[in-house]
Amino acid sequence: MLELIRTRRVIRSMTDKPVKRAHLEKVLEAGRWAPCGGNHRLLRFVAIQNPVTLRLMRKVSPGMSQRPAAAIVLCIDWDQVKVHKIPAHDRAISIDVGTAMENMMLAAHSIKLGSGPVTSFSKEALRVVLNIPQNLSPEVIICIGHAAPKDQMIMIPKKKVTWQSLTDWERYAG
Amino acid sequence: MAGSMALNEEEAYELLTFLVTSARIQQDEPASYGSLRLLTAAERLSGFMMEHSSSGNRGFLAGIQEDIEQMTDSMADVERFVTSLDELCRVVAQHLVEQNGLSGGAS
Ligand SMILES: Cc1cc2nc3c(=O)[nH]c(=O)nc-3n(C[C@H](O)[C@H](O)[C@H](O)COP(=O)(O)O)c2cc1C
Repeated sequence: MLELIRTRRVIRSMTDKPVKRAHLEKVLEAGRWAPCGGNHRLLRFVAIQNPVTLRLMRKVSPGMSQRPAAAIVLCIDWDQVKVHKIPAHDRAISIDVGTAMENMMLAAHSIKLGSGPVTSFSKEALRVVLNIPQNLSPEVIICIGHAAPKDQMIMIPKKKVTWQSLTDWERYAG
Repeated sequence: MAGSMALNEEEAYELLTFLVTSARIQQDEPASYGSLRLLTAAERLSGFMMEHSSSGNRGFLAGIQEDIEQMTDSMADVERFVTSLDELCRVVAQHLVEQNGLSGGAS
């Protein structure tokens, strides 16, 4: 598991080889098993394989450099937020998006698919492209596909990041 | 200067949508992403232009694309990013100067 976590990288260059529906279903299942606040199921997924739809999604998503063969959009269902009387600013809501996203990306990696999250898109334009109703807000697009042999647009961090550099023990040392 | 270098409909719409959606998401994103979006638009535009350009300009456009790709990979180093942006501006201006026959000193 740790090896999977360590070797997953965001893939920004994908081939046009299709993604099998069964593989996409595995990724979706991983999303379902992600931990979520209060065990409320606030997320809805939209899975896309149609090349025309994918092309339009890319057009309204300036942050999408890849041309994915499939994609999953994670949406928050605000009707469910209301049903469970959760305050709209509760951090758990966006944390839920993150846990599902990471589960899905790791699941994709485990079956040799590349993935890349995109949050830089126009919500309203994506809503139109995917016919997403007002009670749902699209939060992240996970692009899925086969990594091109010549990747990658990697965003190089300024400083080397290790778990030690991120961690303080017992009390914050500053 | 070369004559018309029209984009086809698909290309033009791609750019139009990219710019409009970028304008919106920029309201929610760090200011430095504005430069990134404009560079990505420039990269896409130069890709489209390549298909319609003379072979002389194609080399220039390919160079621009390569430069932009490298720059967007290393945005974390702000100082280097700004230096590269300045260099890119010089390269584009120099190309225009040559294209318009302005090379050489004042007469
Ligand atoms: C919340 C979130 C939003 C992101 N949005 C985008 C995006 O719009 N476009 C993109 O290319 N990458 C996006 N990424 C990917 C990050 O840039 C990437 O995870 C980071 O550079 C580290 O790379 P790695 O995951 O390969 O280690 C996003 C990641 C997260 C967690």
